Amino acid sequence: MVAAAAAAAAAMGKSRRSSKNSDRLEQEIDEKPAANGDVEEASDRDEESQPSDAASLSEDEGSPGSPVDSEEDNWDVSDDEDHRSGEESDSSEEEVPSRNTIGDVPLEWYKDEEHIGYDVAGRKIKKQARRDRIESFLAGVDDAKNWRKIYDEYNDEEVELTKEEVKIISRMLKGKTPHAGVDPYAPYVDWFVWDDKGHPLSNAPEPKRRFVPSKWEQKKVVQYVRAIRKGLIKFDKPKEEPHVYLLWGDDSSAAENKRHGLSYIPAPKPKLAGHEESYNPSVEYIPTQEEINSYQLMYEEDRPKFIPRRFESLRSVPAYEKALKENFDRCLDLYLCPRTRKKRINIDPESLKPKLPSRKDLRPYPRTCYLEYRGHTGPVKTISIDISGQWMASGSFDGTVRVWEIETSRCLRVWNVGEAIKHISWNPLPELPVLAISAGHDVLILDTGLGNAEEQARINELLHVEESKPEEDGGSTPVVSWVRDEKYDCIRLKHLKAVTTVEWHRKGDYFTTVVPSGDSRAILIHQLSKKHTQNPFKKLHGLPVSAVFHPTRSIFFISTKKNIRVYDLLKQKLVKKLETGVREVSSIAIHPGGDNVIVGSKDGKMCWFDMDLSSKSYKTLKAHPKDITNVAFHRSYPLFASCSDDCTAYVFHGMVYSDLNQNPLIVPLEILRGHTSSDGRGVLDCKFHPRQPWLFTAGADSIIKLYCH
Amino acid sequence: MDFGVAGGAGGSEEAARRVRVRFTTKLGPPLRVPSAPLAVPSNLTRMGLSEIVNLLLENTCAEHETQPFDFLIDGELIRLPLEEFLLAKGISAEKVLEIEYIKAVAPRKQQDPCLHDDWVSSVDGSNPSYILTGCYDGIARLWKGGAACTHILAGHSGAITSAHIINGKVESENRFHIATGSKDRTLRLWKFDDAEHLEHPVNIREYKILQGHTSSVQSISSDPSGDMICSGSWDSSIKLWDVKNSEVQGDTVSIKKRKLVSDTANHVESQFEGVAASTLVGHSQSVSSIVWPERETIYSASWDHSVRQWDVPTGQEMWNMACGKVLNCLDIGGESSALIAAGGSDPILRIWDPRKPGTLAPVFQFSTHSSWISACKWHCKSWFHLLSASYDGKVMLWDLRTAWPLAIVDSHKEKVLCADWWKNDSVISGGADSKLLICSGVSIQ
Repeated sequence: MVAAAAAAAAAMGKSRRSSKNSDRLEQEIDEKPAANGDVEEASDRDEESQPSDAASLSEDEGSPGSPVDSEEDNWDVSDDEDHRSGEESDSSEEEVPSRNTIGDVPLEWYKDEEHIGYDVAGRKIKKQARRDRIESFLAGVDDAKNWRKIYDEYNDEEVELTKEEVKIISRMLKGKTPHAGVDPYAPYVDWFVWDDKGHPLSNAPEPKRRFVPSKWEQKKVVQYVRAIRKGLIKFDKPKEEPHVYLLWGDDSSAAENKRHGLSYIPAPKPKLAGHEESYNPSVEYIPTQEEINSYQLMYEEDRPKFIPRRFESLRSVPAYEKALKENFDRCLDLYLCPRTRKKRINIDPESLKPKLPSRKDLRPYPRTCYLEYRGHTGPVKTISIDISGQWMASGSFDGTVRVWEIETSRCLRVWNVGEAIKHISWNPLPELPVLAISAGHDVLILDTGLGNAEEQARINELLHVEESKPEEDGGSTPVVSWVRDEKYDCIRLKHLKAVTTVEWHRKGDYFTTVVPSGDSRAILIHQLSKKHTQNPFKKLHGLPVSAVFHPTRSIFFISTKKNIRVYDLLKQKLVKKLETGVREVSSIAIHPGGDNVIVGSKDGKMCWFDMDLSSKSYKTLKAHPKDITNVAFHRSYPLFASCSDDCTAYVFHGMVYSDLNQNPLIVPLEILRGHTSSDGRGVLDCKFHPRQPWLFTAGADSIIKLYCH
Repeated sequence: MDFGVAGGAGGSEEAARRVRVRFTTKLGPPLRVPSAPLAVPSNLTRMGLSEIVNLLLENTCAEHETQPFDFLIDGELIRLPLEEFLLAKGISAEKVLEIEYIKAVAPRKQQDPCLHDDWVSSVDGSNPSYILTGCYDGIARLWKGGAACTHILAGHSGAITSAHIINGKVESENRFHIATGSKDRTLRLWKFDDAEHLEHPVNIREYKILQGHTSSVQSISSDPSGDMICSGSWDSSIKLWDVKNSEVQGDTVSIKKRKLVSDTANHVESQFEGVAASTLVGHSQSVSSIVWPERETIYSASWDHSVRQWDVPTGQEMWNMACGKVLNCLDIGGESSALIAAGGSDPILRIWDPRKPGTLAPVFQFSTHSSWISACKWHCKSWFHLLSASYDGKVMLWDLRTAWPLAIVDSHKEKVLCADWWKNDSVISGGADSKLLICSGVSIQ
């Protein structure tokens, strides 16, 4: 009996390890034996009390002695020992020594034996005959106490548990104490004596430090105070912002996607539904019948994909017929469309532009045309402004030279030279109102008659003394012959070839003429007072285009088609060679300061040379789509201009600083239009007024225009 | 009184808003309307207002002749429909509006313009019966009544740029003292009596040639007393000439000259030449216009973008204003004869108030012209009226109280080079079409 209990306890110990076994046990205990076949089986075995293996309770007969079971058995051994020792200590008097004495060895050892072990006397204990299943079942059916019977493998016998024992087991299963009489929550009895015995362990008086404020605490407080003052400790921590995120934001740019690696490109988001896709959109989204009809006329691609409709309720909205197709298309898009990361530099194009001052701050500059000088019948090739700014002379292809009053645009005088005028130039001396005109092969020095009586006398003298000389000069030099022209009362310089330009020296005595096809006599310098001609430039590298004097020093510029040569007239040598890099130079102008040169070319480019800087152009302005016909500097205002065959003139601000470290500032200011094209030619000449910020332009439409500030 | 129908706007405008107005005027009694407030439609233009006033005048006086009026609210001329005007000026339409009416300016074209041989460069209308013109052919002409040429003042070898009648106190109505400046660098003085011969124009010779300028003379003006004249020239100087003293000598010289007329011309000319009394130097470019409104002060405008005021006794520059544009014309007038009007190389007529401290911004700008302004003149009686002539061929009449021109005279086919008031109610102008045009009927109170 006791052994049975022990075996039950052992089974219970096993149940604690193995849930399967315990379940079985529970079933065996709780359920009625007739109900379950499994239990019957067990009871069968119990009744037979066959020496089956330990696992028979749970395992099938076919698989005895699995390694797991054996392990568990090993565990059980120690457990059983504990139990036994416990039980022995508890109720040793009740304990009946078990029949078998083999001790705590695996029962398998006796599996194939005839006996199960040895009794106290050392005799073999025979295994009982095993009943077959039907017999044990029938026996179990008859016996009402069968469910309480447990087969004890160790002793190979059937044990019947008493009702008390079953109770104990059920209590133990419920986690209660085995005996009902034990009170686990009995009131606590305090055995320790707490009251003072009158004999303290130490009789020392209470130390002083118990009454003095703690120095350590004080230090700590000071430390905190300092930290607070320094701001190391802050009390009012900023409230954490509620974590919000952009629901519809494009996550392709979000930082968290970057860490997936460079190759991660999020799929493009499908278009979100708008108001018009609501089941009940506002009236303005719903197209009229006419609009719907008009959709039919549109191309398939342009047609709106979705036509908003209105429904009474969400319930009446039909299934979306294109759902499948659209999802399919979306899937196609997602896996067929290659996704590449476009390297887009996010730069404001405005910021790439150079910072230029506002045009408003650079006033005055010519802007509007107010005056026109009409009278010529052919394209006006050249104009020149009197140094005082009162008169203007113009030469035209119709063979006339006209002098205009600038203020009223009145034509004062007309000379009919008979040949197309190529170039015209006022003498820079205000007291010598004389014009140099190049027409055909000749250069005419013409008295305009605008001086007062005294000046007129001087001019007459200057142009008159000439009369005797031509023969002498003509005899000595065949290059140019100075002849008196009786018709216009002027000097005629007869060249061998056609003359293109004539330019005065700043002192008004010398002037230079350019004969492009003159080979070694292409550039000539003449002296008016002595009626003398020199030819200092025997060898020219290239076809000469024009020649100008330096505005302040004795330096001479010769422009050939490719480059500009700068000569010092006193030392008589080449100072500098400016390489333009343009196709064909058409015009040249010298800054009044003398250190900067602009060159216009036939491919529409204008080059600014800073002669102190380099022999290459400082800036090349490509503004005109057609040939530049002339370029000009203003004498006093920081302005320069170019005119072109595209019928426009461009005005620029060109500030030259006296500080050599500062580069010239060039700002485009204004495009002056107004001329009309004639025979493919546009504006043929432009000149600034010497004192006002005004620009004169001579057009192929035979009009001269004055643009004022 | 309700003027919905009579208001010119018609019966269809019944629904329009109404404004209560009271008409006031400074005109004489026959043109005065009862001052009772009226309700008029608010969308009336000045035409409609003019009709109302004419109707009221007819009611009071049967033989009233309909004539146009101009209307002022708070000193501003109405140039918009009443409603818009009130809105633009922020005037409440709840109260009774005080509208002052004045006679409208409606210039009448002159019948036949006086033809010249060349461009008319200068005109002077200071004499009520004669008009003096200077012409590019070097001849100054005197036109009696603006119709017939009575005197020809020939002598200049260059175009006349400026002709001026020196109306001194001693001069009687029919004795003329005239100064002309020319591009031949000289000024010439002329003196003659208004003789009663109309058949043939009389040729007059100058009695004195004033030489000294080294470039063309651009403008002439005379002292209010007529003793001195000043001239501005392209050589950027201003010269003052004493004409009072030289007059006596001049007479004698001219007698001498007649005696010596058979002698060599050079010798004679040297005899009746005059020299400048003083020179005012300061401008850096051509002095294009000069005005001598008071005895002590001369104003000059120049191509160097400045207007300067000169003190005559000391010859010093008193005041200088840069305006940024080339100036062609200048006149002093307006309120207490202190406003400066000037125009130049842009289509804007500007008016400055030199008494205004600290600023050089113009107080008025009129920008209806489309080209250079060649002449501007204040009306000598009115504070508000001035005229301007421009190279766009138009003469415009301005009232300071509105930004739009009161009237535009566009009879000229070419540039208008000069313009002036004549007899206080006419505008005379000459231009590059060689015509002297007279527009009368410009009555200004």
